[in-house]
Amino acid sequence: MHKELADLINKNVAGANAIAFIAADNKTDSSITVEASHLFKVVEFLKTNNVTSFNSLHVISGVDYVEYMEVCYMLTNYDPANIRDLILKVKITDRVNGHVDSIVKLFAAANFQEREVYDMFGIKFNNHPDLRRILCPDDWEGFPLRKDYIAQKVYNGMNVFPDDKMNMEDREFIVRQEMIKKAQETKAQ
Amino acid sequence: MQSRWDIGQPEKPTLNSDTEQLKSELLTLNMGPQHPATHGVLRIEIWTDSEIVAHAIPHLGYLHRSMEKHAENLDFRGVIPFVDRLDYLASMNMEWTYAMTIEKMLGTEVPRRAELLRILTGELQRIASHLMAFGTYALDLGAFSPFLYAFDYREKILRLFEEVSGARLLYNYIWIGGLWNDWTDEQLTRVGVFCDEMEEEAKKYHELVSMNRIFVERTANVGIMNIQDCLDFGASGPVLRGAGMKWDLRKNAPYSLYNEFDFDVPVGTGEVGQVGDCWNRYIVRMKEVGESIKIIRQVLEKLEPGPIMGKVPKVMKLPAGEVYVRAECPRGELAFHLVAKADEKTPYRLKVKSPCFTHTSMLPRVAPGQMIADFVATVGSIDIVLGEVDR
Amino acid sequence: MSTQVHHSSVKQYFASLANGISTTLKGMWITFRYVWAVKPVSIEYPEIREVLPERARMRLFNDTQNCISCTQCAMACPVDCIYIASEKLPEGTEIKKTSNGQSIRLKLNQFTIDTALCCYCGLCTTVCPTECLTHSHDYEFSAYTIDQMKYDYLAPDIVAWRDRIVK
Repeated sequence: MHKELADLINKNVAGANAIAFIAADNKTDSSITVEASHLFKVVEFLKTNNVTSFNSLHVISGVDYVEYMEVCYMLTNYDPANIRDLILKVKITDRVNGHVDSIVKLFAAANFQEREVYDMFGIKFNNHPDLRRILCPDDWEGFPLRKDYIAQKVYNGMNVFPDDKMNMEDREFIVRQEMIKKAQETKAQ
Repeated sequence: MQSRWDIGQPEKPTLNSDTEQLKSELLTLNMGPQHPATHGVLRIEIWTDSEIVAHAIPHLGYLHRSMEKHAENLDFRGVIPFVDRLDYLASMNMEWTYAMTIEKMLGTEVPRRAELLRILTGELQRIASHLMAFGTYALDLGAFSPFLYAFDYREKILRLFEEVSGARLLYNYIWIGGLWNDWTDEQLTRVGVFCDEMEEEAKKYHELVSMNRIFVERTANVGIMNIQDCLDFGASGPVLRGAGMKWDLRKNAPYSLYNEFDFDVPVGTGEVGQVGDCWNRYIVRMKEVGESIKIIRQVLEKLEPGPIMGKVPKVMKLPAGEVYVRAECPRGELAFHLVAKADEKTPYRLKVKSPCFTHTSMLPRVAPGQMIADFVATVGSIDIVLGEVDR
Repeated sequence: MSTQVHHSSVKQYFASLANGISTTLKGMWITFRYVWAVKPVSIEYPEIREVLPERARMRLFNDTQNCISCTQCAMACPVDCIYIASEKLPEGTEIKKTSNGQSIRLKLNQFTIDTALCCYCGLCTTVCPTECLTHSHDYEFSAYTIDQMKYDYLAPDIVAWRDRIVK
C-alpha cells in the first residue's frame, strides 16, 4: 500500500520526492518520507483527494536521530470499511533553524501537537497561529527531548537539577559511606 | 474546509443587541490550576464578557513529569510503572496498550488465558473509570450523592484489583508477554456477582441522574461538538461517539481477542438535547458500562485454565524500527509511537498519543458564546485526566 | 441554562413542571433510602483497620540475613531508590547460606531504600533470587523530614523488626 501511495503522491505533488519505507516483517511499521518543503501540499493532497482521504490527524511525533530530526505525522481515516494508518515523515537536518510548514489550516488537531513538537524538539512551524511552548514553562531553556539536551541547573532561583538525587547531608549515610571508604582503604593497603 | 480556529484574533461571541450595548471590555479570568471543576491542574484563561465566555485558552504543563524523556533511560519493563501514571484512573488500559506495543515488536504470542484476563481487567477498569467520570461530572453540576454511590462501586473493582495485583491504583499488573498474577476462581466468581450488582446499580444511576430535570437542563444542548469538529481535531472515544459516529477500535479494528465478543457500540442519538452535546457524551459513557458488563460475562464463560505468561527473553532487545499501536481506552484512543534501535535495552523514543490532550485542544473551539457555568459542564463532559494531558 | 424552553400551550407548561418535580422527587427518594436501607460502607479508620490482601504492596523490607548482595533489585528499580554497598568477605571466613540454600559470598555493608522515591511498583521483589526483599504490609510510616523516609536495613532497630515482619 505504501509504495502505491508514494507513487500517487509523486504523481500529484511535483517535487514531493516521496520515498516509501517498507518494513521487512509485520513487527515494525512502514512509512513514507517526503520533502519538508512540500509537506503542506502533500497533506492537503492526502486529505482532499477521493482515493486516499485521510480525514483525521492523530498525532505529530518528533524523533531525534542525532544526525537529523524527524517529524512523524500519524494520519488516519475514520472509515469502518477501510481503516488505514499512515506514518508520514519529514526529515530536518538543521538543528538550529529547522522549520516545516504548519498544517493547522488543514487539521485543527495540529495546533497543540505542533506546539508540543516545538516545545520538545525546537522545530519551528511556519504560519502557526500561536507557536508557544506548551508543556514546559515559557522561559525554559533548551529542548528536552533532543538527545544532546542537558537540563538547566537553576530555574527562577530554584535548583531544578540536583547533582545527586540522594540527600548527601544525611548524617547517618555519610557515616556509613566513610566506614565503607575506610574499609576499602585498609584493604588496599 | 478552512479551520476557524485562530488563537491570535478570537472571534467575538454573537451577542444580542441588548448585551452588545452593555458590552465594555473583556475580563480575563483564570480558571484553575486549583479549580475543582477542572479535574486536576488544568488552567484555562477565559476572556469573559459578563457571564459569557468570549475565548478560552488552556494552559497545560502543570503536571508535566517528562515521562517520555524518562522512558528513554529505562528498560522496557521499567517503563510500565511510568505508563501507569499517565491516566491514573485507567492504568490497566495504559499498561495493556504499552504491552501490546512491545509485544508487536518482539513478536510475542500471548497465551489465550492471559488475553482473556486482559480483556476482563481492561473492561473492569473501563467501568471504574466511567464510574469516576459519572461521579465527578455530577459533582461538577452540583449533585453530591452520585459521587459517593459511584465511589462505593468503584471501590469494589479496586478491591479486586488490589487482591490480584497488590495495588489499588498503579498496578504494574499487565506485563510484556502476559500478566503478573493469575486470578483465582473465587475472585472470578466475585466478578460475576459484581456484574449482577452493577447492572442493578446502573439503573439506579439512570433514575438518579440521567433523566433528572436539573441535570438535563444543565447538559442538554450545551457544548456541542459535531462530527466535523471531532474529525478536524482527531477526537476519539466517548467524545466522537457522543457526536453520533459509530467508531470503536474494539469493533472496527479488533485487537487482542475482541473479535470473539458480541457487544454494541453505543452512540449519542440525541434522545435528549442534540447529538454531540454534553448529555450525549455522558449517556455514551453510561451505556458503555452496560456493554463492558456484557463483555465481562462472556469472558467468564470462555475462561479456561492455562498459562498466563508467554515466552519473553530475559533481556529484551527489539528489532530496529518503529511501531504505532492504537487501542481503545476509556477516554478515547490511546496510542504509542515507539522507535527502537537494534541491540538497545531502552526505547529510543516513546511518544504517547493521549486522547485527553486532543480533547483539551477542542475546548477553545466550543467555549466561545457559552456561559461560564456551561463551560464547566463542557470541561467535565470530556472527562480529562491531567496526568495524561501533560504526561 | 442555555436550553430555551418554549411552551406552546398551557398543557405543556404543566407537563414540564410535573416532569421536573417527579424526576427530582425520584432522585431524592433514592438518596433518602440510604438513611436506613443501605449499610454504611466506610470504616472508622484508626480504630478499625481493613485487612490487606496477601499481595498488597506496602513498604519494602529487606531481610538482610538472606541477602546475597546481587544488586539485581537496584538494577530493576525504575527510580533508582535502592542503594547497595558490599565488599568481598575476608579470606577464611565461614560462608553462610541463605534460607533457600544460596551461599553468601559478599559482605553487605549497606542496604538503604529511599521510600520517599520508591514508587511501589514491585519490580525489585520479582527479580530477587533469595526472596529476601519483600513488600511488608506496613503502610503507616509518615515522617517529619524527608531524610527519615530513608530506611537502612542494616540498622539495629530495623533488624529488630525482622521477627515481626518476615512472613
